[in-house]
Amino acid sequence: MPGALPDIDLRRYRWIRNGVVVWMTAVLLGAFLLDIPRINILEHTARNLYFHVPMWFTMMAAFFVSAYHSFRYLQTEAPVRDVRAEQAAVVGALFGILGLLTGMMWARFTWYVGTGKWWNFDPKQTMAAVQLLIYGAYFVLRSSIEEPRKRARIAAVYNLFAAVTLPFLLYVLPRQMESLHPGAEGNPAFSDITHPIMRLVFYPACIGFIGLFWVLYTQRVRMTLVRKRLQDHLDPEPAL
Amino acid sequence: MTIHPLHTLPDSTQAGLSTPYDSVWATAGVPTAEPVGLERVMLAEDKLYVVLAVVLIIWAGVLVFLFRNDRRLARLERRLEQGTPPEPGTHLD
Repeated sequence: MPGALPDIDLRRYRWIRNGVVVWMTAVLLGAFLLDIPRINILEHTARNLYFHVPMWFTMMAAFFVSAYHSFRYLQTEAPVRDVRAEQAAVVGALFGILGLLTGMMWARFTWYVGTGKWWNFDPKQTMAAVQLLIYGAYFVLRSSIEEPRKRARIAAVYNLFAAVTLPFLLYVLPRQMESLHPGAEGNPAFSDITHPIMRLVFYPACIGFIGLFWVLYTQRVRMTLVRKRLQDHLDPEPAL
Repeated sequence: MTIHPLHTLPDSTQAGLSTPYDSVWATAGVPTAEPVGLERVMLAEDKLYVVLAVVLIIWAGVLVFLFRNDRRLARLERRLEQGTPPEPGTHLD
């Protein structure tokens, strides 16, 4: 059913893509050029606030976009919703992996200096890894079901459950324990040591990375829709 | 290790933008041993290279994504040329 696959608004896509490119360039410049206070242990790595933290915000945004489309799939059964849910989860997982790796790099040369530790089971680190495993299972689940409609429906239900665990694993549980991450012991997310000037770059960085997610995600959706069209065109017989 | 809220200002010799923040990890024990190996590189220049490494990780992640998409596109083009439909499903490649 070729008519069932809607087009992407390419004009809007290009505007946002170009905007993201310019915006992120400005964020990068601000991240390195803006003077920030030096803190013991942290030193310049405080600048990682502009890179490491937005990874997680972007991952959460991506997974919620994915969950939204899974929810809509269950309502409408439109194949495009399944495509969008899957691709948002793929790009979200990319940002999650980058969040873990950047966090490892950051901690290794600040709090774990002299210990040689790359991984220390910090509560938030551990929960984030669990979260990624939960989404890893989403992809395994998808690839294990052959029949497209069944796969889309079951994956959508699983995806909604996966999204529900997200706030608990990334916010509720880590805050009950001692952690390197701010927010532990009931503090708000920004700790006292975050100089106000850093918000000037931090918030734009979050917006920029979420924009970058949107660009990558839309590219993937376009590609998958082309693939489906090709499939319908060359082989109109099978399901979907 | 815990991040303790700020209580008192340290009697720092160099007062500046960062002075009130210096005390925060004062209890954490800053390592004083001479860094060796990888740490010697990464701790230089007030640890600016750690930020560089983090940015490079993100850049590498975006590049991996770029190349995967490229491979996916090439496969689609080949299929279009040969007239063979893609496998059913929406697998990643």
